[in-house]
Amino acid sequence: MRGGALVAPPDRQAGVDFSQILQNILNGLSIGSVYAIFALGYTLVFSILGIINFAHGAVFTLGAYFTYALTGQRFGFNGLLSNTALPVALPFIVAMLGGATLAGLVSVLVERVAFRPLRQRNADRLLSVVSSLGVAVILVNLIQYLVGAESYSYPSNPFGLSKPAINFGSVERPIPVRSIQIVIFAVALVILLLLTLAINRTMLGKALQAVAEDLTTARLLGINTKRLIVLTFFVSGFLAGLAGTLVGASQSITGPYFGITFGLKGLGVIVLGGLGNVSGAVLGGFVIGLAEAFVPPQFVQYKEAVAFAILFLILLIRPQGLLGRTQVQKV
Amino acid sequence: MTETTEPLLAVKQLSVRYGGIQALSSINLAVLPGEVVALIGANGAGKSTTLRAISRLIDVADGSIIYDGADITRARPHQIVRAGIAHSPEGRRILARQTVQDNLRLGAYTRRDRKQIAADMDAQYGLFPRLAERRKQIAGTLSGGEQQMLAIARALMSRPRLLLLDEPSLGLAPLITAEIFTIIDNLHAEGVTILLVEQNARLALAHADRGYVLEAGSITFSGPASALIDDERVRQAYLG
Ligand SMILES: Nc1ncnc2c1ncn2[C@@H]1O[C@H](COP(=O)(O)OP(=O)(O)OP(=O)(O)O)[C@@H](O)[C@H]1O
Ligand SMILES: [Mg+2]
Repeated sequence: MRGGALVAPPDRQAGVDFSQILQNILNGLSIGSVYAIFALGYTLVFSILGIINFAHGAVFTLGAYFTYALTGQRFGFNGLLSNTALPVALPFIVAMLGGATLAGLVSVLVERVAFRPLRQRNADRLLSVVSSLGVAVILVNLIQYLVGAESYSYPSNPFGLSKPAINFGSVERPIPVRSIQIVIFAVALVILLLLTLAINRTMLGKALQAVAEDLTTARLLGINTKRLIVLTFFVSGFLAGLAGTLVGASQSITGPYFGITFGLKGLGVIVLGGLGNVSGAVLGGFVIGLAEAFVPPQFVQYKEAVAFAILFLILLIRPQGLLGRTQVQKV
Repeated sequence: MTETTEPLLAVKQLSVRYGGIQALSSINLAVLPGEVVALIGANGAGKSTTLRAISRLIDVADGSIIYDGADITRARPHQIVRAGIAHSPEGRRILARQTVQDNLRLGAYTRRDRKQIAADMDAQYGLFPRLAERRKQIAGTLSGGEQQMLAIARALMSRPRLLLLDEPSLGLAPLITAEIFTIIDNLHAEGVTILLVEQNARLALAHADRGYVLEAGSITFSGPASALIDDERVRQAYLG
């Protein structure tokens, strides 16, 4: 599959028909689930600290590169690490989890550098916009310095799927969906399910909700709020790194700016769903994913604009977002 | 109380500043095991600040806080709860978006003894029947009196040895206030040590063993509650 093809190649033969619609829906769910994972990372941090981590997109990018490195593939001709490779070659799934973990650690570092010092000085929250944007720029430049600006691709068929596509239709009216998109959808669903359970059913999740609602109260309950904030940034970065790898596996890593458009769209997703709302991030992800999947092939170059057009329209009607409340809450 | 009893809590030469404002200036106070001690004073005297310093929500500028023989002046708030101090704060600060039950369960966040926690939840429902009827209710929809009960019950869920209560009667009808103070008496009888902050000085002293009077960040009077009630100066200033 060629670049930009998170969405399966459109069925050329017919106009609008049922199988086309079904295919669009399946494609939309797949990309939407990645948006959802990515946006969840944003929203977790927002719900706890009331701030947006603008370095989230850069962590997404890093996650994709970490996975690439962990699979043992060689970097290109530019940058400090040109033509080097790790001596290990991990299986793709292991590399993906490793990449996400490393992205999570970077996110923890971002909290240390860009957020904690400001929080401890009770600085205006707007300042963290500047500091996290600054960290994002540094990370992107660092990537370019280390591995250059070229694009990288994972080994073909990274998940070792036996068929490149699965036909959801009949032989006469095929509805092909790329297998990798089904894997992505499955991974995303598992993550979403685990996270929802963790937030609503565990003591840790309830503690997280307490921190989101009132930091002082959380302290009085004996919750180690500092540790919980670090954990939140880790999970957030893990999700970003995972999303980066999944998108990279579906198309390719397009360079150090890989996560920028994605990061902007992720912002759109959480605003659409309702800032800080976990189910809102998921819903917003699927709405944008589905909307993009229905962009006709002749307008595919305007796909990115669709997300924001929808965002604009929905916010005209519901300024607080689809599920607009402002904190982590029951899903 | 004999003279040889070690205090459960000893605040020594404690000073607290908010930026340039001196909120507490070298205050000393002690609470013996099993005592109910009232801390009274006008608005802005520094009563809540004292409790916040003890539970380490704010930094101490000078002096020390000794709890159970250990220096906790620089401890972190969650360590205070683990050490056995529970703080029912000014304004109650219940978790408005969670259920009554979840608020109580989170009160026991530092504990791991599941069976005992369940038993203690039932004990709280016995103590506060109004909460029992509303265990699935979202706490933000409770009445003011019910929220105050929840704040106290939640504090008790950590099984504290020292309970810090900040204005439990604030904004409550006399009947509910009486109910709350009956519960404070019961806790006293059970041997829970309590440091009670109140603007309603008469009420607080009537239910306390000893009292301290705080004026503009300094302690001006202290002594047995009955003596404070009879003291002419305290009467004039605080008991009307
Ligand atoms: N966060 C803060 N920043 C600056 N000053 C503060 C802060 N909190 C309290 N103060 C000041 O410290 C002093 C003591 O406040 P504190 O809340 O301890 O009073 P209080 O005795 O509890 O009063 P009240 O009976 O009204 O609750 C007051 O002058 C108050 O204005
Ligand atoms: Mg007060």
